[in-house]
Amino acid sequence: MTITKTAALAAILATTATAALADWPADRPIEMIVAFAPGGGTDIMLRTLAPFLEAELDTQIPVLNRPGASGEIAYTALSQARPDGHTVSSLNTPGFLTMQIGRTLRYEPADICPIARIVEDPGTFIVQAGSDYTSLADLVAFAKANPGAVSVGTTGVGTDEHLAMLQLEQAAGIDLTAVPFGGANEAKTALLGGHVAMIGLNVGEYTTSDQGSFRALAQFAEERSTLAPELPTAKELGFDVLMSSERGLAAHCDVPEEIRARLAAAVDTALANPEFQEKARQQALPLSFKSGADWQADMPVRLARYTEIFKLIEGGQ
Amino acid sequence: MTFIDLLMLGFSEAITPANLAFCLLGALLGTLIGVLPGIGPTATIAVLLPITFFLPPLAGIIMLAGIYYGAQYGGSTTAVLVNLPGEASAVVTTLDGYQMARQGRAGAALAVAALGSFFAGTVATFAIAVAGPTLSGFALSFGPAEYVSLMVFGLLAATILASGPVLKAIGMILIGLLLGMVGTDGATGAERLTFGAIELFDGIDFIVIAIGIFGFSEIIANLERSGSEGVKLAPLSRLWPTREDFRNSWGAVLRGTGLGTLLGLLPGGGATLASFSAYSLEKKVSRHPERFGTGVVEGVAAPEAANNAAAQSSFIPLLTLGIPSNNMMAMMLSAFMIHGITPGPTVLTNQPEIFWGLVASMWIGNLLLVVINLPMIGLWVKLLTVPYRLLYPAILLFCCIGVYSMNNRIFDVILAAGFGLLGYAFRKAKCEPGPLLLGFVLGPLLESNLRRTLLITQGDPAIFVERPISLVMLLATVALLGLMILPAFRRTREEAFQEEEA
Repeated sequence: MTITKTAALAAILATTATAALADWPADRPIEMIVAFAPGGGTDIMLRTLAPFLEAELDTQIPVLNRPGASGEIAYTALSQARPDGHTVSSLNTPGFLTMQIGRTLRYEPADICPIARIVEDPGTFIVQAGSDYTSLADLVAFAKANPGAVSVGTTGVGTDEHLAMLQLEQAAGIDLTAVPFGGANEAKTALLGGHVAMIGLNVGEYTTSDQGSFRALAQFAEERSTLAPELPTAKELGFDVLMSSERGLAAHCDVPEEIRARLAAAVDTALANPEFQEKARQQALPLSFKSGADWQADMPVRLARYTEIFKLIEGGQ
Repeated sequence: MTFIDLLMLGFSEAITPANLAFCLLGALLGTLIGVLPGIGPTATIAVLLPITFFLPPLAGIIMLAGIYYGAQYGGSTTAVLVNLPGEASAVVTTLDGYQMARQGRAGAALAVAALGSFFAGTVATFAIAVAGPTLSGFALSFGPAEYVSLMVFGLLAATILASGPVLKAIGMILIGLLLGMVGTDGATGAERLTFGAIELFDGIDFIVIAIGIFGFSEIIANLERSGSEGVKLAPLSRLWPTREDFRNSWGAVLRGTGLGTLLGLLPGGGATLASFSAYSLEKKVSRHPERFGTGVVEGVAAPEAANNAAAQSSFIPLLTLGIPSNNMMAMMLSAFMIHGITPGPTVLTNQPEIFWGLVASMWIGNLLLVVINLPMIGLWVKLLTVPYRLLYPAILLFCCIGVYSMNNRIFDVILAAGFGLLGYAFRKAKCEPGPLLLGFVLGPLLESNLRRTLLITQGDPAIFVERPISLVMLLATVALLGLMILPAFRRTREEAFQEEEA
């Protein structure tokens, strides 16, 4: 009797699960959580993408901003949502990885599975257009002779720019001074006013800035970004500095494999749409699709690398 | 092209029916959200930003700009009529504006606010057109060291601005500084005063504190009254200001406009800082400072002119350098970027119709706002007759929506309610919350800039006296401190406030 009941219950549950899968995604809207305030780069990117995904999946995708704690609030919300494929969130590295180092999190990072990477935007170092540093080598030479004299504007401890700076210090054997600012725009103002010698920006931010006032020294990707094909990578110049900010989408890992695959396919199709590509070009988004599985496979190596760099911070550098 | 040609180009762009319609729409929306406490231009523009995808670039930007300066007009209406700042920048307008309304001079206060704002808007628009490219250099010479000196001066000035004993004002500033420390420490990444709450990682939002201390506590205080019949209206003899009002306010409008235009240029400055500063300046130059807070027209004219001038001049760093000076301008920057336009000197040369079209539309928008606001003042005044039992739940609702919609979380609403209780306690203790807000805003700026300065100079504090702008501001601080300690000044100040309380 009990066994029959249990079996019957299991059967019902199984049918419901299959039914839910079959109906997905048309039965309910898919909520897209953005980990940043409205108007930021990630927010605008996903709000631009959402209508294309809606058309592709034939459903509604409302965007909900849950900013704060460099993404932890959004990731916590994602990990607590029902894993039925009706909640997705933005996913940003290196933030998602660096917050796992030495910080107690309110969610389990292993619960968050990438769906697809949309953008890879390499970091870069920028000086004033009229600066004496015409190349990364100039800057390194000056910093060698004057330890600590070169001030580098960042957007805080453990951010992209700060990690890139620490890597350059290590690769070139120099000593720089990190100066945290409230955001990229504050840092740009300080650079224009000559209050810091150099700042870190993403290539996307650099190409949309007034190019006449700034000069980029190097970019920190493995390969030159499509946005800045003229700018050498740090590796080409002989410095082992790798730092890109990647933006994409993620879902709870318990979301059925098929649903995640369909979401990823929808992103892939949207990215190939010329209409979307035109909008991405206007926003200077360096589109770079990567499947969720491939993106996830990259992460352990990067996490290990960032953990190494963080040890330098704790070491008092 | 000459200046006149460029201006004509701008007007020919701004006056097309579509652009004119979007300008009017922005001005109307701005007035509406300005009137409603708790719903600010930042939240509104954030919501409308995606819609501008579908508009031509200039039309979208004209509309968003209209919302921002329209809110400066609307904010004063609530400040005068209900003693609630409809906008953060209208906080000081409540001090004298509401008193004027209680004396039956609401119409005069609103008219002075609108006309003063129009004058300031006209001047600031002209400043953008004429001096934009040159003035932005001034903002750039403000480095971390200059900021530190400016903040020190600002905090000291705040103790003078406050009514009541200096000790209470200093206490309120210290509480503000403490609240400003909540969150992640920018220089080390350590958590401070968060008590493990993830919602406090990024600190407390200005809106949460402002709505709590001004909005909620006002409503709590009103529960003490027995009647629910609304404010007893003194007979409104005239809506137009008297000749005397005009004579008293023109100087204040001029000073407010000048100060606002300058402060709008500074990164981190903007409408709120401008209105606070203009009010304290007015109090200082006045021959009868003791009457401030009792309904003097200068106390409305100066901050209202200043906040509108600053709202407009803060476009200068954005349009000429691509640098947003506050979070409103950061939203505007996004609006430009959506259309693939990067604000900066290149726009001035390659797409002059964008820059000049916006400048021309600002002037047209200000004209529209006077038309929207002045004939409709009678309508706003009618709001006073709405019974509290209807008005206050509505205000409470809008406050909650405003706080919730910032981050989509209920935590902020509860926090604001807590600040409401705190604000009520401050009222009972006769502590003015103005300095608390100033400490809260300036504290984090002071701290991060002080650390930046010392990082850049590798620990050498001499930079504060070596840089001329910083030195001048520090000398002004010392002078102010000396004045405060001088017995003669202290006596005058105490007398002034005693009269005010009487």
